[in-house]
Amino acid sequence: MMIQLFNVYKNFGPKNPAIVDVSLKIEKGEFVFITGPSGAGKTTLLKIIFCSEKPTSGNALVNRINLNRIRERDLAFLRRKIGIVFQDFKLLPNRNVFNNVALCLEIAGVQYSIIRKKVHQTLRHLGLAKKERYYPPQLSGGEQQRVAIARAIINNPLILLADEPTGNLDPDLTMEIMAVLREIHERGTTVLVATHSQDLLKNTGKRIITLNKGRIVK
Amino acid sequence: MKTAFVKYFFRQALTNIADNRMVHLVGIGTIAIAFIIFNSFVLVYVNINHWSDELGKSLTMSIYFKDQPESIQVEEIKKELINIQGVTIDKYVSKEEAMKALAEELGDKAGLLNGLHENPLPASLEIIFSRADRDDSLPYHLKRKLEKMDIVDEVQYSQEWTRKIKAIMGGIKLIGSIIGGLLFLATLFIITNTIKLTVFARKNEIEILRLVGATNLFIKTPFLIEGSIQGLLGGLIAVIILFAAYMTVIIKTELRIGFAALDVVFISPYLTVFLLLMSVIIGFAGSSIALGRFFRT
Repeated sequence: MMIQLFNVYKNFGPKNPAIVDVSLKIEKGEFVFITGPSGAGKTTLLKIIFCSEKPTSGNALVNRINLNRIRERDLAFLRRKIGIVFQDFKLLPNRNVFNNVALCLEIAGVQYSIIRKKVHQTLRHLGLAKKERYYPPQLSGGEQQRVAIARAIINNPLILLADEPTGNLDPDLTMEIMAVLREIHERGTTVLVATHSQDLLKNTGKRIITLNKGRIVK
Repeated sequence: MKTAFVKYFFRQALTNIADNRMVHLVGIGTIAIAFIIFNSFVLVYVNINHWSDELGKSLTMSIYFKDQPESIQVEEIKKELINIQGVTIDKYVSKEEAMKALAEELGDKAGLLNGLHENPLPASLEIIFSRADRDDSLPYHLKRKLEKMDIVDEVQYSQEWTRKIKAIMGGIKLIGSIIGGLLFLATLFIITNTIKLTVFARKNEIEILRLVGATNLFIKTPFLIEGSIQGLLGGLIAVIILFAAYMTVIIKTELRIGFAALDVVFISPYLTVFLLLMSVIIGFAGSSIALGRFFRT
C-alpha cells in the first residue's frame, strides 16, 4: 500500500473544516484522480499526503511512514520520493529552467554530468529544450506548468502528486501533459491528479475520488 | 561530503553574494572597520611586547653623576662594582661623549644642540649584569646603595623600563579586550542582520527547497559559507589596510623612548592568520545565529 488515510480531519480554524473524516487507500502503481468543485479539499488532501500540512486528527501513512510521527530529516528524504506539481508551480524565479529542474537532483548530491544529461532529456521530452536558459517570469503559464512537471518527474518518484496540472493549458497541451503523466505511471509511479476539469476525467478508465466540502462523496 | 554538494554550496553562496551585492558590501565594510580598530590594538600590543623583549634581552644599569666626577671618584666606584659577582663594567661616558653621541643620534637635526649654553647631559657609568644574576634584588639593592652616594645623581636600570612597559601593556590588554569584546558583539550583530536580510529575501526559495526534499543542512550551508566569506573578506581588507598604513606611515615615523629609537614591527604571519580565522569565525557565527532564528520561526 502506497498511501493510507485513516479518519483524517483537517481544520483551518474552528468553523473552517477542509477535510472531514477521510479514509482511503491507494495501491502502489495506481493512477487516481481526485476531483470536486473549488474548495472541496483537493489541494489540502494532496498537501496532507505531501506532509506540508499535518492532519488535525487521524493518521496518514505514505510508503508505510506515519506522517504524524515523521522527523524533519526523514521528511526531507520522503519528499525526494514524491514528485509534486503545485497549482502555483512554485518555481524559483531567479534560477533558469535548467537549474529549477536540476534542483531535485542537486539536493540528492547527483553528479553534475548526470544532472545535465537527465535534465536535457526531461526538458526535451516536455518540449522545453529551447527554453533551458529562460527564467520562469519569461515563460508562459503553460511552459511554467511543464517546467514544474519536469522538476516533479526528474527523480523517478515513487509517487507523483499533481494539483491541476492542466489548469493553464490549451487542449493540445493538456493531452500532451496527460500522456506524460500516463507514461510516468506506466514506469511504476503511483500518480494522484487533482482536477476540477470534468473533460479530463472522461474515458480515463482510472479510479476517481470525488470530494465535496472536505468529504469523500464518491 | 560529496564534491557535487561542495560545488553546489559554493556556487550558491557566491550567487547569493552577487545577487545581494549592496547588503554584503555594507557587511564586509563593517567587518573591515571593526577589524581595523581591533587589529590596531593588536599591533600596538605586539610592538610594546616586542620592545619590552628587546629591552629585557640585556639588563643594563646607568649610573648618572651629578657633575663631571673626578676620575679617581669614578675609579673608586668601578673598583667597588667589579667586586660584585655578576657585574661587568661596560663603559664610562663623560658629559662630552654623551653630547657627541646625542648629536650623532640626531643626525641632521644636531644643529638644535647649538643653542644650548651648557651641556645638560650627565656623565654616566654603564654596567651590565650577567644572565645568571637577572633576579630583581641585585640591581634593586645596588641602585639604592649607589643613589646614597654624593656624586651619584640617579640610577636607572633596564628592568625598570620592562616593568613600566609591562604595566602599560596590562592597561592596553584590558582596554583592548573591552573594545575587542564590544567590537566582536557589534560585528556579530551586523553580520547576523546582514545574513538575516538575505535569508528573508529568499524565504520563498527556502520554502521551495524544503518542499522538494532539501534537508535543513543543505539549505543552511550556502548561507554559512556566505557569512564566512563575508568575514574573511572583511578581515582581509582590514589586514591589507593596516599593512598599507604600516608601510606608508607607521614605519616612517620614528618612535623613541627617551633617546632610544624603537623599530615598529607588523603583526606576525601566524597572528595575521589567526586574526583572519577569527573574522571567518565571526562571519560563520553571525550566519548561524541568523539561520537559527529563521529556522525556529
